[in-house]
Amino acid sequence: MIGVEFHQLVLGYGGLAAVDGITGAFAAGRCTVIVGPNGSGKSTLLKAIAGRIQPLAGAVRLEGVSPGRIAYLPQDSGVDRAFPITVADFVALGAARGLGLFRGLGAADRTAVAEAIEATGLGGLTRRPIGELSGGQFQRALFARTMAENAPVILLDEPFTAQDSRTEADLIQIIGRWRDEQRTMVIVLHDLALARALGDEALVMARGCLAWGPTADVLTPDHLRRAQDACGRLPMDDAA
Amino acid sequence: MMAEAALRGAAAGGIALAVGGGPLGVLLVARRMSLSGDALSHGILAGAAAAFLIAGPNPWALTPGALAAALVVSSAASLLARSRRLPEDAAFAVIYLSALALAVVLLTHRAGPEALEGLLFGTAGALDRSGLYLAGGAADVTLIALALFARGFIAESLDPGYLTAGPHAAAGLNLLLMMLVALNLVAGFRAFGALMTVGLMMIPAAAARFWARSYGGQAIAAIGLSAASSIIGLVIAARLDLEPGAVMTLCAAVLFAISGLFGPQGGAVSALHRRGRLAARPRLS
Repeated sequence: MIGVEFHQLVLGYGGLAAVDGITGAFAAGRCTVIVGPNGSGKSTLLKAIAGRIQPLAGAVRLEGVSPGRIAYLPQDSGVDRAFPITVADFVALGAARGLGLFRGLGAADRTAVAEAIEATGLGGLTRRPIGELSGGQFQRALFARTMAENAPVILLDEPFTAQDSRTEADLIQIIGRWRDEQRTMVIVLHDLALARALGDEALVMARGCLAWGPTADVLTPDHLRRAQDACGRLPMDDAA
Repeated sequence: MMAEAALRGAAAGGIALAVGGGPLGVLLVARRMSLSGDALSHGILAGAAAAFLIAGPNPWALTPGALAAALVVSSAASLLARSRRLPEDAAFAVIYLSALALAVVLLTHRAGPEALEGLLFGTAGALDRSGLYLAGGAADVTLIALALFARGFIAESLDPGYLTAGPHAAAGLNLLLMMLVALNLVAGFRAFGALMTVGLMMIPAAAARFWARSYGGQAIAAIGLSAASSIIGLVIAARLDLEPGAVMTLCAAVLFAISGLFGPQGGAVSALHRRGRLAARPRLS
């Protein structure tokens, strides 16, 4: 059984806490959406679970999954798009992530890579350098790479920001597929309608947990308003 | 004029340097670390200067001295850049300027300007049998290391932290890359000069961007361009009795200009051509 738990987790940068003591566990095999105003610590929590930052206090406990098997797609991917690499090779790095530095890709890995490229609609662009992709195509390539990782836990930070509606619809389908495959997903979203549609569970954050439970019970105007008040007068991207 | 044997030795050394340095240069260009080669070469200069003071112009002392200094510089640059208090290029600038100053002081104070000139510009006749073994060995080691660690090097340049679990693996890869660069520069510096050797590594690598899209394609293009620069440059230098290292680097610069104009990947002329073709296409409206 996959488990992602954390206890009294304090996270921050340069000693300042952005998340001040959050405790909980993500539901295994289900999709949890995280919402909250800007600066409420959503991205920071995801980063800590992905192992990209160390907690100031508390700990993340993983069960049945190693840190290297958690797929994480940050809001700003950090990929240097000027690097000379084709879409096919870029997606193949997803499969390589589970293999370490040296082991070669097997036949099954290559099939997985080809499938991921097809599923994201990049079939005609495999030989194109990633620097020549449009924003939407590149987001598809990032999803394809994530898919090729075949990870049991998938963390997505605002995956639809600045995407056109067609790309968004196609990527939502892929998330649906991951849900059918019972992967544990955590998605930070600002679009509340989408959050209601995708989330089995929802977590409302305000520098900690303000409410956490079944999506319908948690994404209430009252919770969202309280989250906003708790984070000061920072604007909520999307009012309930 | 250069003796024919020396010319042939220098050409072999230049080709070895192209084979090792070309793929490394492409990686450095892609990582926006073009200045790291300069930092290392100036470190090499300081190390060689120190060795020169201790042992005189003895090749058996110069090479280890240069290699030791390059290791110190590459570790220092890695540490400085990893500390995140400075952008990587600033760390390299600090180090290479300091190393250059140190080398100048060491050499001009004790050994006179000719020694400095020798280290800066090289002596093409310096590639004796042992020098050639070193150059060939450096190329072999580089190719083997690149073959083993290609995935790591590429992933770290493309998306730092994606493939490597934890900061140690990333730091290790970075240090390995710097050491490979150092090894190739040390192999080349006695013949072509500490500074010009970097030119033969970086300029063809930059020019390769105009010839190929993938890393592999660019690496092969860089090897070809660098080897061509060396051979053409050596012949011209021998005919006109000029500094070989500098002429070779100038040849690389000329090839860069030609690549920038006519290279199929974004060269100015081919880009104009493509624009012309697009403009000639019938429009929808």
